[in-house]
Amino acid sequence: MVNLDDLKKEALNLLKDEKVKYIIGYTEGSNGTSAAPAFIKNPEDTDKLVWNPGCFHNLTRFLRDEKKRKAREKHPDERPVGIVVKGCDSRAINVLLQEKYIKRDDVFILGVSCESTGVIDEKKVAKKLKGKKAQKIEWDTNRNLVVTTEDGTTKIPADEVLAERCVECPVHSPVVYDIFFGDKIKRTTDAQFKSVEKIENLSQKEKWDFWKKQFDKCIRCYACRSVCPMCYCDECVVDTISFAVTADTTAEEKAQRIKWIEKSPTPSETFIYHIIRAIHLAGRCIDCGECERVCPLDIPIRFLNKKLEKEAKSLFDYEVGFDPDQLSLVSSFKDEDPEDFIR
Amino acid sequence: MEKILTKKSFPNWIAKLATVQIYAPVVKDDLWSYEVVDAAGITTEYTNAIQSPKKIIFPQRELFLEFSHNDNGSPEIRELLPEDKESIIFGIRPCDAKGVSHMDKVFGGDFEDSYYWKRRNQVTLVGVGCNTPPSPNCFCTSVDGSPFSHEGLDVLLTDMGDNYYVQTFTKKGDKLVNMSKGLFAAPKPKEKADLESLHKDAETKLPRHLKDTKKIPPKLKGLFDSEIWDDESMSCIRCGICTYLCPTCHCFDISDEITSHSPLEGKRVRTWDNCQFPDFTMHSSGHNPRPDKASRLRQRIMHKFQYFVEIYNNYQCVGCGRCISKCPVGIDIIQVLEKVRDHV
Ligand code: SF4
Ligand code: SF4
Ligand code: SF4
Ligand code: SF4
Repeated sequence: MVNLDDLKKEALNLLKDEKVKYIIGYTEGSNGTSAAPAFIKNPEDTDKLVWNPGCFHNLTRFLRDEKKRKAREKHPDERPVGIVVKGCDSRAINVLLQEKYIKRDDVFILGVSCESTGVIDEKKVAKKLKGKKAQKIEWDTNRNLVVTTEDGTTKIPADEVLAERCVECPVHSPVVYDIFFGDKIKRTTDAQFKSVEKIENLSQKEKWDFWKKQFDKCIRCYACRSVCPMCYCDECVVDTISFAVTADTTAEEKAQRIKWIEKSPTPSETFIYHIIRAIHLAGRCIDCGECERVCPLDIPIRFLNKKLEKEAKSLFDYEVGFDPDQLSLVSSFKDEDPEDFIR
Repeated sequence: MEKILTKKSFPNWIAKLATVQIYAPVVKDDLWSYEVVDAAGITTEYTNAIQSPKKIIFPQRELFLEFSHNDNGSPEIRELLPEDKESIIFGIRPCDAKGVSHMDKVFGGDFEDSYYWKRRNQVTLVGVGCNTPPSPNCFCTSVDGSPFSHEGLDVLLTDMGDNYYVQTFTKKGDKLVNMSKGLFAAPKPKEKADLESLHKDAETKLPRHLKDTKKIPPKLKGLFDSEIWDDESMSCIRCGICTYLCPTCHCFDISDEITSHSPLEGKRVRTWDNCQFPDFTMHSSGHNPRPDKASRLRQRIMHKFQYFVEIYNNYQCVGCGRCISKCPVGIDIIQVLEKVRDHV
């Protein structure tokens, strides 16, 4: 079991010894089952850290903010940032290292093992609770979620409430870390791509109808983009000012900028947005499932990334986020790469 | 006018109303959503819809005009007003209706926005009050609202068990009742008394509270440069959820969508925009006066609890709780406001 006190103690020491600038971890959320990201600067606040089944956020996303903040400072503090990561999140760190977005010294990684479970899907838990508000959630040792509400405690088997990505997770514990918390349980999955089969088995028309219906709901809030650790571009195709304007940018350059996509949430624009997002994450997405979790309209966009992850694995034997030194999927080739699908 | 409608007669009334288009909450992929429905699809038992009916009166995309070059090279411009079509929004919650009345202030006043008012004038708002709070984050009573407020409404229904207590507040509302006069009875004194106690009782059931809201606007005045915004926005991912889902957020952008360059053809459209996006305040010089998420959170809070109060004497928040329930990182407007209020 992950011992929260060990995690707190380590965090306390890191801050006391001034080894890290601050620590990105989880704290109690105000909203039912969810934990909330916490940014801890003072040693005495380390007591607020939590580790529970509601710690689904991928905190590596905040390394983007850290990098931007650092770039603005004249004399930046060069110490690393302490960061709590799960297995999936740790693969994001490897991708960011691979892409040279961060350096290994920029982070001090507090890796936590998901052991035999993972994190919950809030919607699944909410359905089980039928409107009741959870006061506390935790895993017991028999893979049950123990939920405390005002009516007492209930036990729900993990498989009924685990997030789908945890069911399909190939790691369950961090692949890169400085300190490890919990047990290094070897847990394998033979169903890494089970969920995409639901879509793959549809006919072309059914697929079109499915996505048409889903994307019609999209309000283009871009939470799916904003939450992703790998969506770090300064120039995003969806923004109205889609290139970095500086004081030196000429009027002509501005006038000639390409407008890739309209703001209107019409089918063509929304499809384009989602296709671009998915393609830009091919060979980079580590399936933390955050894009889908944050969508206020419950659009199952994880399928798109999962499908590309499957293609990369089956066609190129490429797996994301295990080796910071591997070449990137889209900018490298091997002689034995298949070509038969190129038309 | 005040009337009683039995639940048995309710479907008959709805059938009468259905001569015009009706929007009402229906379940779409597990979420409540205001959609065009037929009379049979209408219920008064639903939790908060993920999006308020703002999306009907102030759609995310509004066509303004169409332009093109005609054969002899001169430009042609055609205005595109929303179509003539009366409709009813059935089952709007009191907080969301109050949100509409706030939008009326913004799009009315010195300049009347013809696109907004064309839609607004064609819609009748039939509210269903909240005997029990429809969301775990409701806090309407903390921002001058109540579960049975009728601000912005034409009709308000209160579920009294076997009957609905029907109150109308406008001519439009009267019309809906007068369409089926025979179905409605005059309320008895006991029913009036029951209504009052039910309304009072509902106010005690609110799950969330913000105390001393009045202290917040003056407090905000001194906090423009406070470190509070940095601290509170650390976990914000700067998405558009809190603003796009808010029933009172009304910022927009106007752009030309070119469909053909030669000959030139295109449309001018208005789309939702919001203060949490980085490009919202980006100047063409490259300077961005709100360069980080701290300044954007500050804008959202200050607009709702200082600027709007100064201009319209109302909070620009109706306490629906959507931004709390749906923020992906748990930024909770009540907690932020408490910190503002208690700031020393
Ligand atoms: S996907 Fe894997 S590593 Fe990530 S939370 Fe789930 S079980 Fe843990
Ligand atoms: S989070 Fe959902 S609604 Fe928002 S842009 Fe992404 S898919 Fe669309
Ligand atoms: S406060 Fe929450 S919902 Fe609003 S922009 Fe920030 S992360 Fe998104
Ligand atoms: S600010 Fe939040 S609680 Fe207030 S009206 Fe808007 S969405 Fe609702």
